[in-house]
Amino acid sequence: MAFRDRLVATIRAARPVLESQGVLVVGSEVPNLLESGAAATLIVSQDLDIGVPVDRHAALKLRLGELHEFEASADEPSVWTARSPGLLELNFVGMDPGQDPAEAYVLEDDRLPLLVFGALSLLSPGAEIEIEGTRVPLPRPAGLLLEKLITDRTGEKGERDLLVALALLVTAGPADLEELAQAYRGLRSELRHAVRSNLTILSLLGPRGGMPDPRPRRADVAALLRRLETGDPDLP
Amino acid sequence: MTVSLARRLRQLRSRVLVRAWHYRQRHHARGVWFRLRRTLAAASEVYALPREEAERLVSEGHGAESVGLELEPPKLMLFVPAARVARIASARPLAARLNAELLASECLALVPFVAGPGPQAEP
Repeated sequence: MAFRDRLVATIRAARPVLESQGVLVVGSEVPNLLESGAAATLIVSQDLDIGVPVDRHAALKLRLGELHEFEASADEPSVWTARSPGLLELNFVGMDPGQDPAEAYVLEDDRLPLLVFGALSLLSPGAEIEIEGTRVPLPRPAGLLLEKLITDRTGEKGERDLLVALALLVTAGPADLEELAQAYRGLRSELRHAVRSNLTILSLLGPRGGMPDPRPRRADVAALLRRLETGDPDLP
Repeated sequence: MTVSLARRLRQLRSRVLVRAWHYRQRHHARGVWFRLRRTLAAASEVYALPREEAERLVSEGHGAESVGLELEPPKLMLFVPAARVARIASARPLAARLNAELLASECLALVPFVAGPGPQAEP
């Protein structure tokens, strides 16, 4: 079964929670969904990250009973595993707009505990796309790109995540980049440094199978670095 | 809190601590790796040069990037226009990547993405 078919089937099966107000699809699948026809050509992990605003957690829990195709993992209750191999896992993560982007905490709950990632506080609701009849709420590209760039990652997974950021950068328009630059300026110095550091790593990455080749996009990364550095109070 | 959530939280906080440590190192010796990546990120092309060619470029007024001199052994890294590099027959193109081949090269010519003084003017 093709990955795209599994992704689409997962979205269809997750419809009850995707239609819960405030929920966003976040993470590596977003660029896959943004491809023409949600072509899903990027090779990423086999899960669908669902961002849940902490103040909508109670409302979302009311919809969990409608997730007939999934069940909570015994090991990790924020993950709902698929009952069928034709579906991806659902990975619920918490979003708290008032949280420090470098912090994290656990929202305790018997049914659906959430790890609340501070970097997700940079996300805000963006476009909704429709995938075969299911409404899929996505974050604004600038916030998602910034979230990818401040999150510290290591190893092969980390490099693939940076290539996901590249895929977002490639599809970003001028207004998205201006929004990104403004949000960057609102970060504290350490996080701005993390963004620039990750961009330099991205600039020097080699190609990876199933991901966009970063080499033809190095000029875009260099231009973004220069843009972010311009007017940065920490830099000469 | 479940064991797995506690573990993920601990791992995430550890990574944040490491990131903060890297940030504090940014003006010190360890920060050279960021500065090196930043310099290479400004180069559209990278070439390994024989020492005598690099010194000729210096004599022509091309300034050495300070980050190269922060390494041991030091590297002579010069931003040079593409047209000038094209006149150096012995210039050997390298991938713009922090790999063994680049790190082993003593002298590097970097072609900037944009016209101007190159990233020496940048951090």
